[in-house]
Amino acid sequence: MLRFASIRLLRAMITILAVLTFAFVVLRMSGDPAQVMLGPDVPQESVDAFRKAWGLDQPLWIQYLAYIKAIFTGDFGVSMRDKASAMQLVIDRIPATLQLTIPALFLKVVIGIPAGVYAALHRQSAVDRGVILAAIFGFTIPSFVMGLLLVLIFSITLGLLPSGGQDTWQHGILPTLTMSIGGIGILARFSRSAMIEVMGQPYIRTASAKGMAWQDVVWRHALPNAAVPIVTIVGFMVGSLIAGAVVVETIFSWPGIGRLLVVSVTNRDLAVVQCILLMIAATMVVSNLIVDLLYGWLDPRLRAHSAH
Amino acid sequence: MISDNLVELHGLTVAFDGVKVLHGIDLTVRRGEAIGLVGESGCGKSVTWLAALGLLPGKATVAGSVRVDGQEILGGPRTVLESVRGKRIAMIFQDPSSSLNPVICIGRQITEALVIHRALTGKAAKAEALRLMDMVGIPDARRRFDLFPHEFSGGQCQRLMIAMALAGEPDLLVADEPTTALDATIQAQILDLLIELRKETGMATIFISHDLGAVSQVCERACVMYAGRIVEQGTIAALFDNPRHPYTRGLFDAIPRLDGPRERLIPIPGTVPHPRDLPEGCAFSPRCSHAAADCRSGRPNLSAMDDGRLLSCFHPVGHPAGLMQAAESRIQEAVS
Amino acid sequence: MIAPSANAALIEAKDLVRTYEVRQGMFGKATPVRAVDGINLTVMPGETLGVVGESGSGKSTLGRMLLGIDSPQEGETFFDGKPMPKLGTPEWRALRARMQLVYQDPLAALDRRLTVAEQIGEPLAIHKLVPKEHRAIRVAELMVSVGLRPDQADRYPHELSGGQRQRVVIARALASRPKLLVCDEPVSALDVSIQAQVVNMLRDLQEKNGIAMVFISHDLKVVRNMADRVAVMYLGRIVEEASSDVIFAAPLHPYTKALVSSVPVPGKPLKGRTILQGEPPNPANRPSGCAFHPRCPLATDICRTSVPHLRQVADGRTAACHLLAGADQPVAA
Repeated sequence: MLRFASIRLLRAMITILAVLTFAFVVLRMSGDPAQVMLGPDVPQESVDAFRKAWGLDQPLWIQYLAYIKAIFTGDFGVSMRDKASAMQLVIDRIPATLQLTIPALFLKVVIGIPAGVYAALHRQSAVDRGVILAAIFGFTIPSFVMGLLLVLIFSITLGLLPSGGQDTWQHGILPTLTMSIGGIGILARFSRSAMIEVMGQPYIRTASAKGMAWQDVVWRHALPNAAVPIVTIVGFMVGSLIAGAVVVETIFSWPGIGRLLVVSVTNRDLAVVQCILLMIAATMVVSNLIVDLLYGWLDPRLRAHSAH
Repeated sequence: MISDNLVELHGLTVAFDGVKVLHGIDLTVRRGEAIGLVGESGCGKSVTWLAALGLLPGKATVAGSVRVDGQEILGGPRTVLESVRGKRIAMIFQDPSSSLNPVICIGRQITEALVIHRALTGKAAKAEALRLMDMVGIPDARRRFDLFPHEFSGGQCQRLMIAMALAGEPDLLVADEPTTALDATIQAQILDLLIELRKETGMATIFISHDLGAVSQVCERACVMYAGRIVEQGTIAALFDNPRHPYTRGLFDAIPRLDGPRERLIPIPGTVPHPRDLPEGCAFSPRCSHAAADCRSGRPNLSAMDDGRLLSCFHPVGHPAGLMQAAESRIQEAVS
Repeated sequence: MIAPSANAALIEAKDLVRTYEVRQGMFGKATPVRAVDGINLTVMPGETLGVVGESGSGKSTLGRMLLGIDSPQEGETFFDGKPMPKLGTPEWRALRARMQLVYQDPLAALDRRLTVAEQIGEPLAIHKLVPKEHRAIRVAELMVSVGLRPDQADRYPHELSGGQRQRVVIARALASRPKLLVCDEPVSALDVSIQAQVVNMLRDLQEKNGIAMVFISHDLKVVRNMADRVAVMYLGRIVEEASSDVIFAAPLHPYTKALVSSVPVPGKPLKGRTILQGEPPNPANRPSGCAFHPRCPLATDICRTSVPHLRQVADGRTAACHLLAGADQPVAA
């Protein structure tokens, strides 16, 4: 078990390091922060001074080594814009993002999974067709279109809900809906196909042949087996709790991490962008780890049993 | 008064998406008897019993009558079927490893059936499950109670399936190709177990198999099925010593022998027709060496012969006379 | 003395050993498992060797090593007197045309997007055996020889029955006029009526073309009908070898006896037959001494401690059992 855990941990670290390296290189290749921060008309001396102050005059690999070294000592850098700790800036924004993504995740799970399972058990029914249609809908409509559509209907036409800002809980409804609709479709579709697959397995026939009531066959024999693929998708959604709101936060002017990311990229605020990417990578890696552990719990075939 | 007949199938038909695969099966299972169902794959052996127990997928249309102790179970509410499954009629399947739920421990899969059918719970259920595991020959049952199906071999999985089937103390066990997926030595063990259990419990057995040798060891009576119909039915002795339907005869002749000189095998030419395009007349006629013009225009009915067997053939092979005589002439035939 | 003239053998295996690493569970330590453990055998041109055994006996691994598509850790295979070239080399690839594999599941062996004619013609194209303009004729010949109608040439695998698919696989295997055919459970998935068709066809083809065959199956009745000689495998080793006429009529090794006895004979009751108790053996957990001793009704002390060697027990018969009296020289060193 220890060996397993340490291998997984090492792999997680390598993943995060790869993300950081990638972000570091791409950010520095894609534009000069000094130019962006200071504007196009400043004298060359100011630009040079800015570069010197932020260490941008050094060769790339020295900057990189310094950056990695700093990270390992817990120093995530300072925002070039606010001169504040980049990590603190990011952490301050987390609650706002979670206010959207956690309710959205909740909606995806409590609507998507039951809808998919119900559709699988009642194939060719109206509900099944509805779920397939809704899933395609949710899949294909990008969230910015969905967001604008909702704003058009509920804010502009009906005047029921605010279209931007974070003042009251009503402000959260449209962004949460925008974020969850696609996920509900995806989860419904996956749950449906996982359940259809399981219901066709010989052991389901065995459970029926045993005389079990149909509901019990579904609850006790089918669902635990269908859980493995469903958990994979939910795990992926949990992994994007922090990062899942870039577009939506921008549309609805929601002051979360997503919006911070967009602003920081535009400004080439290197330290902040890197902090956000680190955070995103870390949540992904952690949720993957949790999913792996869940697999072992859900499916004994994947479980460790050294004593045999 | 309890009738001698345990299960009666009458005119059982099954269609998948409008294509008929079972064309009216009549079969009576008496208490305690063992009946074999033989025939090539696709002839409707398994479908007959999956249909009777309502275990076919939703796209199947089942019609006819299935009575258990005189009570009709077909077409009624789902609860009627559920009360018959496992309790009156239990069923085990071809591939034991995938017929057990991979994520539920073996002990629980067996006790589930005890909870449903015998209202046993807790310690009592566990004790009974252990007794059943013992009975079907699972060594060290107590220690292996909490293990999962993948931790057992194929043969042991089939034993566990049998233990689960016995949990409801059924009157009839339907065994659908229970040994096909197993090694020869394990096949023999499972057959032996089925024979012993039937002796002990007195339950009737339906043994579905393409292996005529295995059927002859387990059963007293057998039905030969072809293209969704029973074409010959009789005692094992009658069928084996003197098969009358050319298809039955063909099935015997095709079996390679383990003793005697090495000879060319005698196959049945062609293949089982697809249910969608059955030939005119007798469905076997295109593959039959005895077929005449009437076989291609009309379909023979399944009717009783003098020796008690049922046969559906215009031009039967073998001998209509008594058994002993018939057996002798069959040996003669084989020699010449 | 297994082969009276070893130099004439088409294929000869010497002390073949194949080990796999098996991990128990996700975190377990990898332990080496000897799937094939020191096998010696020869197949003469035109001869059929049957290989029988339970699952886990290593018979399929042996078949793959004889073909050179799996390489042994120890020992060597000689084809036509020459050592098997290394996997993937040009010499090895050239040899493919001369030895072919037919295995149990024809649907998996066929490409579902290619027609029957394209499948059968493939080896002709790969090995550049027949010029393009004559290929159609050769394919039609092959189809007729395996009992397919030429008008089925444009069908796809899913449009054929199981027996017909296996015929396509066999036709494809025969396209390059191989000297050796390794058949791994070729008829196990087929109904007995169709099985007989395919067995007869294989026998006819073999007689006509003089192909040597290694016929691997758990079905003793089919092996009895196909093979000239039979090797019985248990846990990666051959425990008995003899001509197919004598081995099933008068098996010597207790395991062979049990196998023969487990075959249900129509009309013969199960009573009085030896039913082998216990599970098929697990190669990861080889018993000491004679690997068969835990299931053997006759096992004595020596069986638990000492490994019996394959030795000559009668004319043309070898067996590995302490309880069999015979010549003292082990056949395989």
